[in-house]
Amino acid sequence: MSSNNTSDASSATASSTSSRLNNSSYGTQPRQTGFIIEELSSESESYPIAGYSNNMTTTTQTAKIPDIFTTLPPVRDLLNTQTSLLQDQTVQECLPFHLNNLGLPINPHGLPHLDRKRHIAFLHKNLRRLPAAFTAADASRPWMFYWALAGLATMGESLEDYTERLLSTVKPIQHPDGGFGGGNGQMSHLAPTYAVLLSLVMVAGGDVSEDERREVLELVNRRAMWKWLGRLKQRDGGFQMSVGGEEDVRGAYCAMVIITLLDLPLDLPVDSPARSDECTTFLSGLPEWVARCQTFEGGISGRPDAEAHGAYAFCALACLCIIDDPHIVIPKYLDVPRLISWLSARQYAPEGGFAGRTNKLVDGCYSHWVGGCWPLLEACLEGPTTASTTKASSTDSLYSREGLIRYILSCCQDQGKRGGLRDKPSHNSDSYHTCYVLAGLSSAQHKWRFNAPARSSTERPETLSSAYQWTSEFLFDEEQIFDEEDRVLTLHPVFVIPEGIAEQTRAYFASKIGF
Amino acid sequence: MAPKPSKASKAQPKAPEPIKEYPNIAAFHQATYENSRPYHKPLASLSATEKTHYAYARLLETGIWKSWDEFQRKDFWKYIETNKIPVPLPEPKDLGRDRNGRDISKYSVKEYEEYQKRERGLEGLVRESTRFRDRQRRLRRSGRAGEDIEGEIEEERNRRKLIGVLRGKKMGRYEEDPEWDDVVPIAQDDGEGALAQIAYTEEYSEAMSYLRAVMSTQEKTPRVIALTSHIISLNPAHYTVWLYRASTLFAINFPIHAEIEWVNDIALDNQKNYQIWHHRQLLVDHLYQEIKDDEAKLKELEDSERAFMTEMFDADAKNYHVWSYRQYLVRKLNLWNQAEIESIEVLLKKDVRNNSAWSHRFFVVFNDPKHCTEGSPATAHDPKIPDNILDREIEFAKAATFEAPQNQSPWNYLRGVLCKGGRDLSSLELFAAEFVKEGKDGAEEDVRSSHALDSLADIWAKTDVEKAKWALELLGNKYDRIRKGYWDWKIGQLMDQPVNTLEGNLEALKV
Ligand SMILES: [Zn+2]
Repeated sequence: MSSNNTSDASSATASSTSSRLNNSSYGTQPRQTGFIIEELSSESESYPIAGYSNNMTTTTQTAKIPDIFTTLPPVRDLLNTQTSLLQDQTVQECLPFHLNNLGLPINPHGLPHLDRKRHIAFLHKNLRRLPAAFTAADASRPWMFYWALAGLATMGESLEDYTERLLSTVKPIQHPDGGFGGGNGQMSHLAPTYAVLLSLVMVAGGDVSEDERREVLELVNRRAMWKWLGRLKQRDGGFQMSVGGEEDVRGAYCAMVIITLLDLPLDLPVDSPARSDECTTFLSGLPEWVARCQTFEGGISGRPDAEAHGAYAFCALACLCIIDDPHIVIPKYLDVPRLISWLSARQYAPEGGFAGRTNKLVDGCYSHWVGGCWPLLEACLEGPTTASTTKASSTDSLYSREGLIRYILSCCQDQGKRGGLRDKPSHNSDSYHTCYVLAGLSSAQHKWRFNAPARSSTERPETLSSAYQWTSEFLFDEEQIFDEEDRVLTLHPVFVIPEGIAEQTRAYFASKIGF
Repeated sequence: MAPKPSKASKAQPKAPEPIKEYPNIAAFHQATYENSRPYHKPLASLSATEKTHYAYARLLETGIWKSWDEFQRKDFWKYIETNKIPVPLPEPKDLGRDRNGRDISKYSVKEYEEYQKRERGLEGLVRESTRFRDRQRRLRRSGRAGEDIEGEIEEERNRRKLIGVLRGKKMGRYEEDPEWDDVVPIAQDDGEGALAQIAYTEEYSEAMSYLRAVMSTQEKTPRVIALTSHIISLNPAHYTVWLYRASTLFAINFPIHAEIEWVNDIALDNQKNYQIWHHRQLLVDHLYQEIKDDEAKLKELEDSERAFMTEMFDADAKNYHVWSYRQYLVRKLNLWNQAEIESIEVLLKKDVRNNSAWSHRFFVVFNDPKHCTEGSPATAHDPKIPDNILDREIEFAKAATFEAPQNQSPWNYLRGVLCKGGRDLSSLELFAAEFVKEGKDGAEEDVRSSHALDSLADIWAKTDVEKAKWALELLGNKYDRIRKGYWDWKIGQLMDQPVNTLEGNLEALKV
């Protein structure tokens, strides 16, 4: 019971974190009355920007902010509905941040710097003891530490000091029957298992001794994991998130990440309920099932029949890119032109960032979910980089990296004492958005290449090797709008952990014989 | 004020020195202690009698008289009684603090008396409660568990409440309930210095301890339903609790309709929660097995589910989990009917930009087994679909487009329908051109929908590459600049000469 006593040293944290949960305590960036939208009358098409025009000209003269980010879209409908009102409101919310009328120091492109210090402090705080208001996160605590650790690693922070604590955190949540739950005594579930595994490999991939690395990686009971995954596999090809739980694209992605990183056998355990003459491996029917999630819009839904959604699009593409090389597997199972068309339409101006679905609002976390699809699709279009391919001949970006970077640096940063990154200016920062906004920033700042495998093009990989052929480089053919100090580290486009670690983890487990 | 002194004097008859007022119990104890040792002064100042009395007092204090024979002891006590020699009391001990952290020695004499009375009462209750537990344990061992002898369980429940009151700290809900005595709660093992550890409330922490315990024995009983209801009320986003609840419901044949009613309230209060919808799906799967041959009951379920979803959509008409559930329900209950389509139209009438509603319509229309090929992918041509259905859907989307030409949803829908019907996009040319007026004689063009321009670019790509290029450039440079990279890429596809290395690969993709 004493562990539930809040009157310890963490109470200082408690008061500030609980204020975070309270949306009204918005702090230094209140929703100014100036950009609360009023009921639109039919002739007021040019109304909202009026109040800012003076400000805009002075700012844009000194700093190069393209007018696309400071003016309303050129085509607007007269009809107002709930959707358009919210959309207009969001535009009004973002414009002042793009114009930078908040008086923050900006670079010559009119962008504020990445406030690393505050974001780092914010994430460290999220790893400390959390107040009772976080009880809603009781079943997703592994996410809490994955987001914080991944965010810290993206900003170049060492995770070394968390090694011991991560080990003792994770041990009691591994289930004897395989997998990890949200907490001690909870059922195993693919989402926390994914988050735990990635946290472990991030820590093991850092600056630790061989012994420590072994201790961290050996914590996972691979044989039990393999057995448990066998119970999640479904006859139709997909995966349930937990035994008896929902089947969706997240399951397909999380399961494949776990299988490949741990180098588990692809054969289904003999007692897997899905096992049949047609279904013998974890891959059986899987890409076909993912293909069933592509909708008439071209995007990907969480499960067949549902609406196209950015987060599921990433899970689907990343899952396929584990199964095979992107230029082979993506066109084989998905209608690529329609997918690209839909994905491209998720980016809005003047906001600059991505929305998750048609007619939904821009949100910082889609910087990763939608933004993270682009490297995979670009590799699909470009094909593998071979020795004969000159690196200079890369494609121009299919999306506006500038728009995304502007949305992230101008609109997603909490520039107050609190720090952290957020959905949009009217929302409070949290570790989830901090992690995925930074992942999106990283993706927008770099170019990824899929390198030709050592094998000949006709021979197919026996083991899942496709996900280990990615390398990053800086972008040279576009004008760089952010300062070098605001560059974050690269995250693997499939695993969303710092570059290089996935390869190292895979090599570790591949060198072992059996379980 | 008047009756107070009399009350006070009444309360003090036991005190050895009732005459004097003491500021607090510690002072009283100190005085009592000193009074029991009247000879604690320099020995020389004592009279001869006093010296003898002092010697007797010492003998009393050391207890040496206990080793004497009976005759000597009798003599000894006789002397003590006749001479009223006080028994030397031990030095007062620190009384410590009470449950509120108050220093007990600061209690008034009366307060202390009440305090002691309470403590004695508490000890008695705890003893009684222990006896009850022992008795119940014996009953359980002899297989007579759950026997309630003369309402003693209720009596025990009240006793525990009282113990809580006397302790100034309520017992946990399950600790207090005799019905849960047979369960030994399992505390949460968080590991040392765990990351992002949550400071749970005691209520949540206790309930979870009992859940771990029942799960470890796989208990599936009605009280588990109550326990999971309680936990869900504290944290509805807990998949383990939901899954265990579902398996318990089915194990004890809990009435599904009652469960659905209960879930409705939870869902309305927790719009963002998604466990609820998987749970509901499990419930309907189960219920369906029972009622699948009863048309009236199926219709009733269809209506009540639709009504409930309407209520959910009032709060958020784009709730992804509710929509996913709805797609499940359509397949499960065969809701390929007019009522389903009409209920979507109501939502589209409210907000023609509700893309979730558009998506659902597409699903319902193009998966109806009456006129669709089973398993036909959403992006593929299905030759089985009749023309009248295609025409109806095209007209529906066109009408919506006129309401708000820049609304992307009906444009996506139109393309989807044409694709399903295997019809050429060019059939849309005249319609799309309604929203794109090319400027004649150097006049500026008038574009009322960038999506129309996008469609025209795709149509012209096959007939007039120059016009297609014009449309795509217009999009990239004026009407949809944020997507310039994409429009430029499409221009690259139009050209015969590869503009970049994509070309070769695109050929392979058969764009
Ligand atoms: Zn978000």
